[in-house]
Amino acid sequence: MDVLANLGHGFIVALEPLNLFWCFAGVFLGTVVGVMPGLGPAATIAMLLPLTFKMPPTSALIMLAGIYYGAKYGGSTTAILLNVPGESASVVTCLDGYQMARKGRAGAALGIAAIASFIAGTVGVVALMLVAPPLAKFGLAFSSPEYFALMVLGLAMVVLLAGESLVKALLAMLVGLWIAGMGIDLFSDASRFTFGNSEMLDGVDFVIVAIGVFALSEVFANMEQREEGTMLPVPKGLRNLLPTMAELKACRFAFLNGSVVGFIIGVLPGAGSTIASFISYGLEKVVSKHPEKFGTGVPEGVAAPEGANNSETGGALVPLLTLGIPGSGTTAILLAAFVLWGLKPGPLMIQDNPELFWGLVASMYVGNVMLLVLNLPLIPLFAQILKLPSYLLYPIILGISLVGVYTVSSSLFDCYMLAAFGLLGYLMRRLDYPSAPLILGLVLGDAMERALRQSLMMSQGDLGILVSRPISATMLVLAVLLLIMPLFRKFNSWRVRAIEENG
Amino acid sequence: MTLRTSIIMAACAAALAAGPAWAQFKPTKPVEIVVHTGPGGGADVLARFMTQLIEKENLAPVRFQVNNRDGGGGLRAMAYVAEKKGDTHTIAIFTGNWLTNPLVRAEAKFTLKDMQPVARLVLEPAVVAVKADAPFKTMKDFIEAAKKTPGTLKQSGGSQTSRDNVVRQLLMKSTGANWAYISFPGGGERIAALLGGHVNMMVIEPQEAGEHIKAGNMRVIAQVAEKRLAPYPNVPTLKEAGYEIPNVPQVRGVVMPSGVAPDVVAYYEDLFQRMVKTPTWRKYLEDQQFEDGFQKSVELGKFFDTFTNQMREILKEAGTPVVR
Amino acid sequence: MAQKSWFLKGDVVSGAVLAALGVYIISEARQWNYVGPEGPGPGFFPMWYGIAMVVLSLWLVVVSAVRPAVADAKVDWKGVGRAMLVWAVFALCTALLKLLGLLTVLALLTLFIVGVMYGKSLKIACAAAAGNALGFYLVFSLALNVGLPVGPLGF
Repeated sequence: MDVLANLGHGFIVALEPLNLFWCFAGVFLGTVVGVMPGLGPAATIAMLLPLTFKMPPTSALIMLAGIYYGAKYGGSTTAILLNVPGESASVVTCLDGYQMARKGRAGAALGIAAIASFIAGTVGVVALMLVAPPLAKFGLAFSSPEYFALMVLGLAMVVLLAGESLVKALLAMLVGLWIAGMGIDLFSDASRFTFGNSEMLDGVDFVIVAIGVFALSEVFANMEQREEGTMLPVPKGLRNLLPTMAELKACRFAFLNGSVVGFIIGVLPGAGSTIASFISYGLEKVVSKHPEKFGTGVPEGVAAPEGANNSETGGALVPLLTLGIPGSGTTAILLAAFVLWGLKPGPLMIQDNPELFWGLVASMYVGNVMLLVLNLPLIPLFAQILKLPSYLLYPIILGISLVGVYTVSSSLFDCYMLAAFGLLGYLMRRLDYPSAPLILGLVLGDAMERALRQSLMMSQGDLGILVSRPISATMLVLAVLLLIMPLFRKFNSWRVRAIEENG
Repeated sequence: MTLRTSIIMAACAAALAAGPAWAQFKPTKPVEIVVHTGPGGGADVLARFMTQLIEKENLAPVRFQVNNRDGGGGLRAMAYVAEKKGDTHTIAIFTGNWLTNPLVRAEAKFTLKDMQPVARLVLEPAVVAVKADAPFKTMKDFIEAAKKTPGTLKQSGGSQTSRDNVVRQLLMKSTGANWAYISFPGGGERIAALLGGHVNMMVIEPQEAGEHIKAGNMRVIAQVAEKRLAPYPNVPTLKEAGYEIPNVPQVRGVVMPSGVAPDVVAYYEDLFQRMVKTPTWRKYLEDQQFEDGFQKSVELGKFFDTFTNQMREILKEAGTPVVR
Repeated sequence: MAQKSWFLKGDVVSGAVLAALGVYIISEARQWNYVGPEGPGPGFFPMWYGIAMVVLSLWLVVVSAVRPAVADAKVDWKGVGRAMLVWAVFALCTALLKLLGLLTVLALLTLFIVGVMYGKSLKIACAAAAGNALGFYLVFSLALNVGLPVGPLGF
């Protein structure tokens, strides 16, 4: 088969000692970068670009790609141990991952994250290899109406993240939408909710809100009591450091879910790993036999989003390599790197540079294996961090949060905003407002508004465009079903109670 | 401005006359190149290429380092540079954005007048592209179709003040046609919208279009340039096609903080003059299909004024509120 | 549930605050174009989520006010006070970043948390503060070469 022959060639390239070295360097660096909140793979790749000019393009690409998905692996570590999302896609991992850590299952959570990432990453690479061109065409069929429907579907997930009070969850989501709208309006150039401050022109960066609302609020809440001891229970013994067979079994569907959802969403230019993790998490909750346990520390709640955000990497490379269209910030830099190396990204790139493409694909397999091998033994090491007494750990968390936020745009204003969001997060906790919907609203609000307005511009005000196209219509129907679901459940439980009372 | 210009010119002349033996400015620590986009954006790629080139050809005794200050539509980078008055080791890549943005944004605290022009480097032309299977073979086809069904045809592009929209406004005004403009924040999404058939036309940089044209997905129906670009010998420029509108290039060059001595400016001018003469640069221009628009600081200052005035008029015509 | 009464009061207050926010959003949204010639304008979305916010928050206020209060309401105000104190110090620290630089601020923060909040001895607090600052310096400034805000002393 042609594909196998090409893959074989690719492996020969990927397994050259030089390329193995660069692959390792990339995944290692990526993991470190991913662990640090704020510093993302995009910025790191940009920093290392000058180095790559002295390397052959294939090796350079292998290293940069390694950084890209290594960062995804690393992001889960701080999310699980410290409730600090290492990068935007790790926010969803915080939901159940940190809760697992609180129950003493930190090691298991880290293990599941690593395994899910490995499986999904591998699936992503296989898919990239086999279905890239036809999938790219599918990606092109997606435009603003479909994006809008996707975002609505994502927002409908708020129903699944609601917990006890749906009203509060919706309100949190609306606040998230409001924050998302701050800044310059793309279409009209009007400045919205900037309070006359030029620093607000870009709106509020997601990382600032996430770290403030998740990590800082946790620290402040923990400070209410002067508790001695460690912040989280330290898992003892190998058994507690790794996931149990039962936990792994529970994640069977999650592994598949994460891989597929992440990859497909990755293919769409403009939709990123954050929405992929939310949708994967939501989907997992919908099909679960015990949905009410989500948010309290279930392993599938870690496996699904972690898998999604890894296979998204493979997906994002599809439009880049087959059409020369970058789907996200990181792929935009890879595109720039191609140009700087003298390559011409576009539909013909794979044809013109087969060793590059197949070498990259093969090295992604290799990279995934390396990352699994790297991360699993590190788990006991990371778990040792938990041994630090709380009073030492909290200042460290506060410090990491500050540094992480500052590195986003080197802006002190962002640090002030961080403090504000820390307060907001704490108040939300105390008043029992769920924070995940706020993040959801923040992440999707901007994109959703844009997609809606673009759609209406395309159809000249005709809302029908959203339902006349098959893909968007399907997603909107799904979203409506999701929203009606709690009503059904409530109705059902009333019915059951009525029957019991009468019978 | 004229007096200042004359003084600068006199100083430069004196400096040059004194010969290389005189203690002229030379950078002594790494020079920062500020760009207003994130990594991967247009200005960023150019800046990185320049750093690479300067290092390879040993054009300067120190390293150049790119500093991304994206945000605020370019205003953050502008504020950063303007606030570094007198700093001799900071330069910045300006683009047309730096000229137009302060015109519409009240929050802008600084304009290019608060900075020292150094050199203009390139003028980027563009091409008008449609999907390969679209019924438009020439610009005229598109304009006629737009006139027949006003507002139904669609163009994808960047923000309202970007060059894409400026070209559209000029064309619409001069022909009386009308078509919609849909903003997409990322270049990738704009191309995807065109290739997916969701919009009918876009204004795109020639090298971006190049590969898609070769693959047979896109067709170029007109050029936004002074003269025809080499890879498209059979496609007329807008002027040649009969549209009497001013050419709107995307312009990129170098500025630095104000308050620096004339020999500092002269040093950088000279550096970039040497840079644009290198064969690597020439090849880069060819590959990227840029036009060489090299100008030194004095002419650049004049260019800023004419360009800004032109933009102001265009924006006013388009109905965008202009604040300065 | 012992906490219910507190929540109730909290819900009423927070609901009212959110309703006010919603009203603010709507008033701002009216200043912008609701629908432009080319589709919904910048005022479109904010108007709708502003309205939704007002509706939902008023609903919350009504529902919580009507719900019967539970007798033994106990709120750990002392705990809340402690948490807010830490927040206030943190906020103060961010304000001081410009003046003192990150490492100094971090040391002060650590000192406060270890010494005041956890009541450890001054020696331990200072050691923790110094250790933390040093650790951050090594990891961020040296190893990762991340630019941190610096104070007058250069760190």
